Amino acid sequence: MTLHLIIRTPHSSGIFADLLDAFADGDYLLLIEDGCYAALPGAAGLDDAVVAGRIGVLREDAESRGLLARVAPSIEIVDMDGFVALTERFPKSLSWF
Amino acid sequence: MLSYALLVHAAPYSTQGALSALRFAEAAIARGHRVETVFFYHDGVHNASTLMAPPQDEVHLGERWKRLGETAQTALLVCVAAGLRRGIVDGTEATRHDLAQYSVEPPFELTGIGQLVDAVLTHDRLITFPP
Repeated sequence: MTLHLIIRTPHSSGIFADLLDAFADGDYLLLIEDGCYAALPGAAGLDDAVVAGRIGVLREDAESRGLLARVAPSIEIVDMDGFVALTERFPKSLSWF
Repeated sequence: MLSYALLVHAAPYSTQGALSALRFAEAAIARGHRVETVFFYHDGVHNASTLMAPPQDEVHLGERWKRLGETAQTALLVCVAAGLRRGIVDGTEATRHDLAQYSVEPPFELTGIGQLVDAVLTHDRLITFPP
């Protein structure tokens, strides 16, 4: 089980397509930094069934970008404490860049 | 309680990565974990510059890392090969390379990539903060 971290916007690179290929059962995706833009409804194809219900966005980073009220309902809002809690739950993490 | 190693590729103030790593370290410690190692690699080595002097109303990343090293006994390891290429050197390396100045002081420590491998093998978690 792997925690995937994305810091890029969905428009800046092809990593979202690569991520969807690599995403396995039991994995979780946390959007941080500019990755938060992918939390907007329909922004990055993340409503795909493969990842649906297993995505979070970092509250502090979404808030600092003015996105907090616009996060897609299927995406969890996770604070910094929750970020650490995810790393407790997932022994491995993978940062995409 | 888990032991963490953080790998920081991000230069200070260029992208958010260094601040993200610092905030993560502080949050992990607040949850009772040990952040045993922060390894600064590639452009991330600039976090170790003792010559950093940001405006007073901004986050001073160098000071915040230093405080982490001093209060949480976190090893602040700087890749020596990446540092030498970028003018991030301590007194010993400055002497060895006949340089007039140096830019790294404790608690930051110049070290080899082997220390990163060691951290990966001995810590419970490795979290990478990209550039």
